[in-house]
Amino acid sequence: MNASGMTAAEPVLELKGLRKSFGETQIIRGVDLAVKRGQRHALIGPNGAGKSTLFNLISGHYVPTSGEILLNGESIAGLAPHIINRRGLSRSFQITNVFPRMSVAENLRISIMGRHGHRFTLFQAISALKAVNDEVDEYIRKLRLERRRNDLAGDLAYSEQRILEMGMSLATEPSVLILDEPTAGMSREETAYIVELIREVTEGRTLLVVEHDMSVVFTLCDQVSVLVYGEVIATGDPASVRANKKVQEAYLGEEVH
Amino acid sequence: MKFSRSFMLAIVALAILATLPLFLSGNLLNAAIKMMIAALFALAFTLAMGQAGMLSFGHAAYYGLGAFAALHLMKGVEQQLFWFPTPLVPLGGAVVGFLFGLLFGWFATQRSGVYFSMVTLALAELLFTIAPTLSGVFGDESGISTIRGAWWVFSFGPDNQVYYLTLAWVAICSLLMWCFTQTPLGRLALALRDNEHRVRFLGFNTHLARTLIFAISCLFTGVAGALLAIANEATNYTIFAAGASANVVLQTFIGGAGTFFGPALGAAVMTFFARVTSDLTRSWLLYQGVIFVLVMLFAPGGLGGLVATHAQKVRAGAWRGLIGPYALALLAGLLLVAGLVFTVESIHVVLTDAYLAATRAAGGKWVPFKLFGTSFAPDSPVTWGLPIALFAAGGLLLPIARRMTLAAWREATALPDVVGSTASPSSPARKSQGAAT
Ligand SMILES: Nc1ncnc2c1ncn2[C@@H]1O[C@H](COP(=O)(O)OP(=O)(O)OP(=O)(O)O)[C@@H](O)[C@H]1O
Ligand SMILES: [Mg+2]
Repeated sequence: MNASGMTAAEPVLELKGLRKSFGETQIIRGVDLAVKRGQRHALIGPNGAGKSTLFNLISGHYVPTSGEILLNGESIAGLAPHIINRRGLSRSFQITNVFPRMSVAENLRISIMGRHGHRFTLFQAISALKAVNDEVDEYIRKLRLERRRNDLAGDLAYSEQRILEMGMSLATEPSVLILDEPTAGMSREETAYIVELIREVTEGRTLLVVEHDMSVVFTLCDQVSVLVYGEVIATGDPASVRANKKVQEAYLGEEVH
Repeated sequence: MKFSRSFMLAIVALAILATLPLFLSGNLLNAAIKMMIAALFALAFTLAMGQAGMLSFGHAAYYGLGAFAALHLMKGVEQQLFWFPTPLVPLGGAVVGFLFGLLFGWFATQRSGVYFSMVTLALAELLFTIAPTLSGVFGDESGISTIRGAWWVFSFGPDNQVYYLTLAWVAICSLLMWCFTQTPLGRLALALRDNEHRVRFLGFNTHLARTLIFAISCLFTGVAGALLAIANEATNYTIFAAGASANVVLQTFIGGAGTFFGPALGAAVMTFFARVTSDLTRSWLLYQGVIFVLVMLFAPGGLGGLVATHAQKVRAGAWRGLIGPYALALLAGLLLVAGLVFTVESIHVVLTDAYLAATRAAGGKWVPFKLFGTSFAPDSPVTWGLPIALFAAGGLLLPIARRMTLAAWREATALPDVVGSTASPSSPARKSQGAAT
């Protein structure tokens, strides 16, 4: 359970004894997890382990049954999603979740204008907000979507939509970015492309990412936590987690041939 | 470039509207006033529906409240309780519409989709039910009436002064609503329409945003109601009826909620249609329904959508090829319409009490009925043959016209460099077309 080679940094996101039940069934069964500043942290686990449910708890979509969620030391458990986002945590979704009838630039602009305080601005034209529009261009470049700038998000290829989806979460400039299976449903080349892109755009940021592809986990992340049946059974650097007996039994055994 | 073209069109439309009173007589001028008010109502409704995806089934509430607010202002002036310039009376409708939009919207926007629609409907019905009991505010069954006060050099007696007052308000409100679409909140409305759930996770309080957008829609709806009150100098609680709420929905869909000015066009056209046909036939609501169904089936983007597609896709100079097929399609349509109208009106006449009495008097035998100034015998082959012939001719022409129209459309929208490739609506194609012309 030791941190990897990096110097011990303070946790940005901390889960303590987090539980969530739907009716009788407990899906998250006492999760403890710490994501440290500047690290890329992977969350792996078999289908139905509760990874998305955990993300829904962290991002405010669900209210925890019990336990604590600390963001930069402050409790965010049970707060509304928009409040949590403004406190500095932004998420992407497992299923593509963009604004299909708006252009790529406009999708990003929604994320960016909110951060600039233009949430309900009524007496200013959006074209006059230079700082916002400059930043939109910057993000389009970062995400390598220049050629798609004015196309409707709904017309993009699936992998481009996934990139946009991530970019929208990133553009709110959170202190923690959480991505739910950013490479789901992609070909090998697309996966390699988006992983490289994620590495690029999250440089120096704190990332928690759900990922099924083990090679992605091993190349992208500093830390790995394994969630099985609503419980974290191991946390550590990729190599030690791979070597962990419990993990091999519970999860990796079926994946690694 | 696209902006300036729409802008030019708006200026031209405004210029035409400004000169209309020179040509229109009393009755038509009054119709024009009502058309403009309906257009404003539809634009205001679309601000919530088309842009933010909030399909309100209860917008008559804010329309009616705006009207009553205006009437109370005018009545206060009439009774010399206070002074208020008549041209600014619609401000009263705006304020009341906005405040009730905030209040009712706060509840309705807790839900989305169908549930939102149901709450708006329920709130409007609530108003419709309690309005007659609050006779101090809404008058009794006959409502309240007053007169327009004079202001400066205007007496606001003649219709054309009312016309220009209405035009000014409709033009300013349309411009403001267009400007709204260019503000951050206006852009946020589009995002809410597309995917409210996602907006929440980007740091926006979507409930607050939707309440605010709904209230802005109600503000302009209140102005439309106030303009109606100024034009009619009276109203009663039936203005809150569900039919009025449904009407603006129909008009907006016929006009096309996907375009900015489509709903205004739809509302103006359908208001005119209602005014003309309701004098001629009792079946006019049936015809209105038929129009709605046909538009939804064959041009789901509405009139505005049709215009927009043509403006975007048809190459310059390729219009001529479309005229012939469209004329043929129009002819086929007219034949079918004639058949339908003849059938509906015949049935209508035959079912009237007067006709039934006449057959009884004739000993239960069919007697000829009068329609379109001619006499038709129910048992004559002519009476049956006429609609059948109309339907047959229209039905035969329609597939031909359809095929020709499709071919002409393909021809007119084909790209010069890639003629023969199937017309795809993808944006790269659109872009290369723009570059080629
Ligand atoms: N709203 C809900 N109500 C009831 N049960 C739920 C709800 N959401 C999730 N579950 C259940 O919780 C369990 C965990 O689901 P979750 O989506 O979190 O898994 P996951 O680890 O993300 O799986 P995957 O790898 O397939 O995405 C599943 O058995 C699911 O059926
Ligand atoms: Mg999942």
